[in-house]
Amino acid sequence: MNMDLETAAMLRDSAARYAADNYGFLQRHAVLGEATGYSARAWRDYADLGWLALRLPEAHGGLDADPLAVGALMEVVGSRLLMEPVLASAIVGTGLLVKLGSEAQQAALFPGLADGSLRLAFADAEPGDSPCRVRGGRLSGRKISVLHGDVADHLIVSALDGAHGGRRLYLVDPAAGETEITRYRLVDGRGAANLHFAGAPAELLGADAAAVEAALAEVLDEAAAAACAEALGAVRVLVATTCDYLKIRKQFGRAIGTNQALQHRAVDMFLLQEEVAALTLAAQQALCRPAAERARVVSGAKAYICNAARHVANEAVQMHGGLGVTEELDVSHYFRRLMVNAALFGSRDEHFARFVAAGRNGVAGGMHT
Amino acid sequence: MTDPITEARQRAEGLKAAIRSFYDGVMPADLKRKSRLHQVLDKDDYVRWMRLLNDQGWAVGHWPKEYGGQAWSLLERFAFEDQLARLGCPWVIPFGVKYVGPVIYAFGSPEQKARFLPRIATTDDFWAQGYSEPGAGSDLAGLRTEAIREGGHYVVNGQKVWTTYAQWADWLFCLVKTARGEQAQKSISFLLIDMRSPGVTVKPIPTMDGYHHVNEVWLENVRVPAENLVGAEGEGWTYAKYLLKNERTAGAIVGMAWHALERLKSLAAEAAPASRDRLGTRIGELELRFMALEVASYQAVESMMRGTEHGAEASLIKLRGTELYQHIAEAAVDTLGLAGVAWDAAALHAAAPPPLGPEDAGGIIKDHLYNRAATIFGGASEIQRNIVAKGVLGL
Repeated sequence: MNMDLETAAMLRDSAARYAADNYGFLQRHAVLGEATGYSARAWRDYADLGWLALRLPEAHGGLDADPLAVGALMEVVGSRLLMEPVLASAIVGTGLLVKLGSEAQQAALFPGLADGSLRLAFADAEPGDSPCRVRGGRLSGRKISVLHGDVADHLIVSALDGAHGGRRLYLVDPAAGETEITRYRLVDGRGAANLHFAGAPAELLGADAAAVEAALAEVLDEAAAAACAEALGAVRVLVATTCDYLKIRKQFGRAIGTNQALQHRAVDMFLLQEEVAALTLAAQQALCRPAAERARVVSGAKAYICNAARHVANEAVQMHGGLGVTEELDVSHYFRRLMVNAALFGSRDEHFARFVAAGRNGVAGGMHT
Repeated sequence: MTDPITEARQRAEGLKAAIRSFYDGVMPADLKRKSRLHQVLDKDDYVRWMRLLNDQGWAVGHWPKEYGGQAWSLLERFAFEDQLARLGCPWVIPFGVKYVGPVIYAFGSPEQKARFLPRIATTDDFWAQGYSEPGAGSDLAGLRTEAIREGGHYVVNGQKVWTTYAQWADWLFCLVKTARGEQAQKSISFLLIDMRSPGVTVKPIPTMDGYHHVNEVWLENVRVPAENLVGAEGEGWTYAKYLLKNERTAGAIVGMAWHALERLKSLAAEAAPASRDRLGTRIGELELRFMALEVASYQAVESMMRGTEHGAEASLIKLRGTELYQHIAEAAVDTLGLAGVAWDAAALHAAAPPPLGPEDAGGIIKDHLYNRAATIFGGASEIQRNIVAKGVLGL
């Protein structure tokens, strides 16, 4: 796959223009009040703009976009805190279907994914040590914290294959029965669900166990890299907003940004932003490298970015004073999005452990940019 | 003769023991539960809580005996707040008993003392603090709210902000400008405003934890009887500084950090084995910082009692306490994992169980979000460091 910087830049610009016109703070405020936690109108726009076809193959009318283009879009998602299931459906769900779906499955689902009439969610995390299991085409067990699982039309569920052991993926239609959905919001307002399957009809996705594991690892790394890009978009806004505020907020007769102590802290925020940008790019590039190297770089990036984003968000709140913790200022919304982002698609500790383990196996990674 | 510090230590230990048996024997189960789960307490809960404390003689234990107090030493005051917080008790609302009460008994008229002090002790009046303004947060010299004397009244115009629980308040103690053009600190006066006065409007400021703690208070041509001025015109700054001195002994942050750390340890014990090592090291570091905070705080309090303080004690407790507390809260949210981001503000009001994790998961998240403000209010961390740099280090 060729990495195409120019296409990515064009996509970033056009997406940023759309979001600036249609997803301002007040417009987003209205979206937060929607029962689904996202805007159906914006979702249709994303389909028209081609965002939902980014990960689809060209043969199916998609753009077969590279990780840079996906990252460019996710950066805009983070910079405007878009609430729609772009990551869950158009990147993770679609990515799994592209890699593992049979011709029939792809033919059935791709058109709906491209035009936005179908939304996918990926259900992986489980509450305890009794894993989901499929026997005779029926799925039983529980999944938790399924991002946008509250609105998904189809679920991709990881579960043990009752006949052969081993982990497989399954397509489940939550409306087909025997699926109990507990819907809730995450701290940042995005929708999620806990799922209880009691013999729900489940269709195997991907025939070969080894291929499933490989594809799953690839797509989860794509998701982690996309989450990094999303964090980058949010971090850039927080750094810029904070620097603006330091220039206009006056106390003791002068702009607070004239205090050297605050200047230095702003510089540290900016340096973190630049590191987040560099690591995000490295993670995107590593998606095309061999698995061990990919794991080292992507997990290193996600772990570092979790900490960096937390620091930037904390500092942005602190330097805005009381305003920083209010609903009425966007800063607290970025704070909460970054908090959720850090926990999804692998926590800081999980990625750190994977980074260390990959290093122990002799993978350097990250140097080849 | 017994050393006063030794005696204070003994009395503080006795007080702490009394608080523990109060918690076991007297504290109502519903208040314990709400508080333990960090659920939203309403006004009735707080009033009930403050009255329970007053029944024990503790709400105003730090007041002089002639006003109904027990003349607690600084050490007893500190230990009182610390012990309550260690047990996970509700917040001791400070605006009446801790802030305005002492200003009134120190500087108020006999009429003001008779009128206000008994009702502060019993929380028959709920007080709020009108200090900050949109242009005057850390810098109170930038106050703009004006009180113009007209006959027997002051006519007050201006806007206060970050006023905690103004939505419940009967009274507002307020810093206002009573003179124009004068040196800022000589133009500020300390005025008591009845919240039911025409022209007082309270507007909520929702915070990111989804709860209504703070407000804007708009004052438009509010007529305040001149008898509600505390002390002399232009001396408000002096009284405000006296009040801040009273605020110095904030033992609650030590107890809160201890309580949160204990909860973090029990959460970690249930965490996945893979993350326990890393978590263990992180908790160990936090415990070490707690020990430093605890010993430094108690030694600082004793220095203040001996009059041997260097002046940075209060800042040290506030800075180290709030920063440590925030780091413990972050570690708790991290330990909850996916349950640490699954949360809906509405659920906290409905007292419904969280969608994921232990019963107090929502409360832990709420606490983490709201306590980002702990390093902002009551003298931001930046201001605390300025105080030490200028006042102690002479920089």
